[in-house]
Amino acid sequence: MGSSDETNGKKPAQSWAAQLGNDPWESELRKVAQSADRLAFKKLFEHFAPQIKAFLMKGIGSYGDRSQAEEMTQEVMIKVWNKAASFNSSKASLNTWIFTIARNTRIDFIRRNSRAERKIDIEDIWHEADSPEPIVDLQQRRVETQVRNALSTLPDEQALVLEKAFMESKSHNEIAQELGLPLGTVKSRIRLALSKLQILIDR
Amino acid sequence: MISYHPDSRYLTDFASANLSLAEAVCVSAHLEFCGKCRGHVQQLKDVGAHLLIQLEPEELEADSFTRLMSKIGSADAAASSPRTPAEPALSLNECEQDEAARSKELPRSLVDVFLPRSVRSLSRGGLQNLSWAQLGKALRVAPLPIFGESRETAIYDIKAGGRMPEHEHRGEEITVLLKGSFSDADGSYSRGDFVVRNAGEAHQPTATQDTDCICLVCLERPVRPRGLFYRLLEPFVQYRLNKLNRGPAF
Repeated sequence: MGSSDETNGKKPAQSWAAQLGNDPWESELRKVAQSADRLAFKKLFEHFAPQIKAFLMKGIGSYGDRSQAEEMTQEVMIKVWNKAASFNSSKASLNTWIFTIARNTRIDFIRRNSRAERKIDIEDIWHEADSPEPIVDLQQRRVETQVRNALSTLPDEQALVLEKAFMESKSHNEIAQELGLPLGTVKSRIRLALSKLQILIDR
Repeated sequence: MISYHPDSRYLTDFASANLSLAEAVCVSAHLEFCGKCRGHVQQLKDVGAHLLIQLEPEELEADSFTRLMSKIGSADAAASSPRTPAEPALSLNECEQDEAARSKELPRSLVDVFLPRSVRSLSRGGLQNLSWAQLGKALRVAPLPIFGESRETAIYDIKAGGRMPEHEHRGEEITVLLKGSFSDADGSYSRGDFVVRNAGEAHQPTATQDTDCICLVCLERPVRPRGLFYRLLEPFVQYRLNKLNRGPAF
């Protein structure tokens, strides 16, 4: 792994962002980080919050209702405000960073509303481990474009399992039960979908 | 060199946050050892992010942004007054007493282990803070209490060259190696490896001769030891582990 990384040479994170075209929302977030810019934050809010709310409504299922999804959306946006300075575009795109915050807020909510362990901090499990070697960053950037282009071309049955896993917050087992499919079928559909998105996991 | 990784099911369910806490603790531990799987999880989160962005937007309440800014405003005001440090999970005094009481009987091996963040958090800072039960000559076990889980999570400390009783799995078992290495009939495993055994599989892991082996283990249901001796021992072991689980744990 290390050798191909050296032959490629390390480029500063900024140049990757430049190659892919700068995300205008990233510069709004930078304004929030640098000068607590409320106008920039309002733009981010108007762009992301309605989708975050949609994500939370789909994902919290029987644990909560519309008004709780609204409260959680606010919780997510407060974290965006507070953590703006820690956003690092060489590690993840802004969309992925926001997805991660929304996802963790959702797990935390579900945990608070179920009989589950409360003493461990969710961020101690679903944390952003120290950045992987640069080679992984490079592949990851390529995948982001792939994902964007290929998601819309997936066959319905593959798109459906991804939707259930990532948006409706269902595990492989829960998807298998709901669709009346063997676990192996769900796994292979997800793997097929992922390989079309150029996410190639060995097993 | 890590040779055993979580499969696509674990990685996807982890990235979408649909794993049980106990399984997630194991995957999270592996990720700290494995840049490749971290890369995959990042890619999987990209999938989640793109799906989120494509969702039909939900209308927000009319005063949503105003309420948000007033929450942020009052939090900022509170932050500008002198900060109160976050309350530690245990008071310092308590920690020190615990450590003083326990460190006497503890081999250094427990203190040196690199602990993934999830395990560090569950053990309140270090393996020496857990309650250990000696099970036979070669094996010590300390449960990691995760309330509300059907799985049992524990740290196993196997003495160098020590042999675990041969056992059969009634449910899935995940092992993440934190230190040392062990082998069984199927292969040998070293630090960072994520090893899964399914129901019905039997094995007898043996720790490598030169160093103690410390593992994070998550069991779907208690394993059934095969030898008569251990079968007789089992109720006793379960009793001790249950007692520890309920014990003075945090």
